[in-house]
Amino acid sequence: MADPVAAGLAGEVADAVASPAGPRWYRSGFWPYLASKLTGAVISFLVMLVIGFTIFNVMPADPVSALTRSHPTSPAQMAALRKQLGVDLPVWHRFLNFVGHTLTGNLGDSWQYHQSVSSLIADRLWPTVLLIGSSTVISVVLGLWLGIRSGWRHGSVFDRLSSGISLTLWSVPTFWLGLILLVLFTVGAGPIPSGLFPAAGMSTPGYQGSWLGQVGDTAHHLVLPCLTLVLVIFAQYVTIMRSSIIDELGSPYLLTARAKGLRDDEVRRRHAVPNALLPSVTVIFLQLGTLLAGAITVETVYSWPGLGFLTFQALQIPDLPLLEGTFVVLSGSVIVMNLLADLLYRVLDPRVRAQ
Amino acid sequence: MRRRIVAVVTAAALVGTAALFGGTPGATAKSPKTLTMATAQIKTFNPFTSFYDSESAILTAIYPTLVQYDSKLNPVPYLAESWTQSPDHLTWTFKIRQGLKWTDNQPITAKDAAWTFNLIMTNDDAATSNGSLLENFVSVAAPDDSTLIIKTKAPQANMLYTSITGSSIAIVPQHIWESKVKGLKDYLNNSYPVVGYGPWILTGYKPDQFATLEANKNYYDGPPKVDRLILQYFKSDDAAIAALESGQISAAWNIPATGYKTLQSAKNVMAYQQVASRWTGVEINPGAKTRTGKPMGTGNPILADAQVRLAMAYALDRETLVKKVLNGLGTPGQSYVPPAYTQWAWKPSPDEAVTFDPAKANQILDSAGYTKKGDYRVDPKTHKQLAFRLGTHADDANDQQIAPYLVGWFKAVGIKLTLQPQSFSGLNDNLAKGDWDLLMDGWGTSADPTYLLSIQTCGTLPKDDGSGGNTDAFFCDPEYDKLFKEQTAQFDVKQRAATIGKMQDILYKANADIMFYNNNILWAVRTDKVANFRTGQPDASGSYPVQTLFISWKQATPVGGKSSSSAGLWIGIGIAVVVVVAAGAFFTLRRRSTAAERE
Repeated sequence: MADPVAAGLAGEVADAVASPAGPRWYRSGFWPYLASKLTGAVISFLVMLVIGFTIFNVMPADPVSALTRSHPTSPAQMAALRKQLGVDLPVWHRFLNFVGHTLTGNLGDSWQYHQSVSSLIADRLWPTVLLIGSSTVISVVLGLWLGIRSGWRHGSVFDRLSSGISLTLWSVPTFWLGLILLVLFTVGAGPIPSGLFPAAGMSTPGYQGSWLGQVGDTAHHLVLPCLTLVLVIFAQYVTIMRSSIIDELGSPYLLTARAKGLRDDEVRRRHAVPNALLPSVTVIFLQLGTLLAGAITVETVYSWPGLGFLTFQALQIPDLPLLEGTFVVLSGSVIVMNLLADLLYRVLDPRVRAQ
Repeated sequence: MRRRIVAVVTAAALVGTAALFGGTPGATAKSPKTLTMATAQIKTFNPFTSFYDSESAILTAIYPTLVQYDSKLNPVPYLAESWTQSPDHLTWTFKIRQGLKWTDNQPITAKDAAWTFNLIMTNDDAATSNGSLLENFVSVAAPDDSTLIIKTKAPQANMLYTSITGSSIAIVPQHIWESKVKGLKDYLNNSYPVVGYGPWILTGYKPDQFATLEANKNYYDGPPKVDRLILQYFKSDDAAIAALESGQISAAWNIPATGYKTLQSAKNVMAYQQVASRWTGVEINPGAKTRTGKPMGTGNPILADAQVRLAMAYALDRETLVKKVLNGLGTPGQSYVPPAYTQWAWKPSPDEAVTFDPAKANQILDSAGYTKKGDYRVDPKTHKQLAFRLGTHADDANDQQIAPYLVGWFKAVGIKLTLQPQSFSGLNDNLAKGDWDLLMDGWGTSADPTYLLSIQTCGTLPKDDGSGGNTDAFFCDPEYDKLFKEQTAQFDVKQRAATIGKMQDILYKANADIMFYNNNILWAVRTDKVANFRTGQPDASGSYPVQTLFISWKQATPVGGKSSSSAGLWIGIGIAVVVVVAAGAFFTLRRRSTAAERE
């Protein structure tokens, strides 16, 4: 199969040679680049749909016995329920439903929640985005800052301390760290008083404050989950940034910059960091895509009403429509983030633009 | 100059946020007396499609039922003031309490009850949750506002359990639900406050977080002692325990054994056990077959020998399981109906009671002809080893703890066990197909054991094509079935208990389900927040009688003392810190940008 990027390049070169006076937007090469990336993303998405459906339908699935386990249900009732949920449809029929549903945005009805999968996901999307967003922003800022400082003066005490602490925290299991922080700040230990932070949820039950008060209440609930996630993931940005900066340290252009008379701070800020930023950008977007699903342990420990736990719930029955729906959303987000990273690269790195 | 600006900004931030958050939740004198309790997950408030106990506890607290449990678990009047039966027991006449109003001031009448029952009997979607309870009903009619007449096909002794607090059918207002019938399957009943009747009114729900209920001041029996009930969902047990320890919730139940031990020594916490309403055990494939007797599945035929199953029963040390797996918080299993319901209490006679006796187990197997060849015994006819598969629930910590004990104990009597951890659905799949030898099993029941007993009848075996089955262990005994039919028509509780006792005896001797233990229900309540939650007197082992949430919620009394809420202050301080940091960053950046000029 022809490499779409190479084909785009070849087309560009041919055009530049043949008609140097063609319209600027076409000569810039952005649209072929976008087209090729979009095609790749769509193909990945479709392949992912097939793989997802196959995996989930290989699992033994009798949701009815799991749903009615603790409830007196006659065999006639269970048969009626099976028919109502559409469990007994042939595989090819369900696959067509699945593809049709995904493309029209109607992801079917959850077997255990009795509501549409899209409304379930919509309900829980904002809490997950809030949690992921806030923890990503904080860990990116913190991680990059630490990485830059550590890399610039690598070998120093600061470098060793920050690398050591961040790597230790990265290797700590998220679930365990979450539980420790939960117990520490909820129950209290030693000098830490009891009841500093809430033990569960996104808002205080029965809270009747002003709008600003509610924002504060949510922020109060967000502190511990966000802190847990930040502590566990910021190490990635520290390491990547640090090694990128160290890579840049020996470059001749930095010598030129210093010779020009720029201060150390400015050399670092205006020249070294932008070049060292590229690998970090990749990691940030990759991380964002996968973090949506990866926050499940944090969501479980802190009872945060997000998408991760919804996926886990879907596995319990197994609730196939919900499982397929969350799978589509989560895999889709990885693909979208990858696409955005590719496009952002083009903006950030002139070398990609020139291709 | 700059330092002064920073100082002013900091002070303003602190004062402003402290003022904003000074009066946060629970700090005012007029705040409602609240009972906050941990609950299991709630997925819908539609009584026609609900499957979970956590949901039915709420549904029967916001909608009326015909009868309710009293504190001794006896059915007593609720919406139905009194009832009579025809001499042939086929017609029940309920007198409906008059003068009650739904929360939207419409009167509650027998017509609402009739409409609810008829909807379940005629509408497939409405029958999802409780249709099986009405299989014996012929008709339900309300000739006038205060009379409900139910006709059944055969005498039904457990009629009163059809609509009772805590489970089963809740009666809904016809004038509200009539318009919802069309989309009933997907209706979540989530417009608050929910129009209903009961000691509580459902006023709010945040999915996967909490439900809020307000006390109904017009409840006929007097309103609950607390003003507000909040049921909060904790996804992890540790979070619920932490919340209880820090006073964020006042009560939690189904606490894991390890957490219970911690809570026993916590300050202001009363940790107690309730007698078990569940059993855990192992089911043994006695020869899976269809309703017509056709064998099915890959079960080992050696297990059809009752002596092998009896030997297995003797090979188990239940006391050790209670001690090691439950941390002592339970009782060794014996009766098929869990011990929580004293009216069905049954004990095996001394000569048939099984104890931990590997020597006896070996003797039984020896007499049955299974000679030992190496470590394990062999069937003399087929020369096949006594090797069986034990299916366990992969995600159940107790199952995984019990399994190695079984392997060891069975080896001591010459039986080989291969462990097969499976998902819940995988295990059920194999069970339904008959592709199993031994499976970990567990069941619970409410005060009416009809359903629990029914899953051991021949009628729940699958049809020849493998479908339509609901059997627990493929057990089928005509004598058991006969007794089951008898007890459905025995209206005298003592008589019914005697018949059920005989049924439990048959099951005990058949060993298709061998009981391991009954795990006590573990509770923890904050004594500085709520009193009167626990009811009854402890038995000899210190366990309290089981109680419905309906009663516990209603009689829970708030304990004096303001709930201190330093949360607001901490939010304020937190925000002030953020503001100060932001101000600091702003000034640093400004300074940096002018550094070149200063140089």
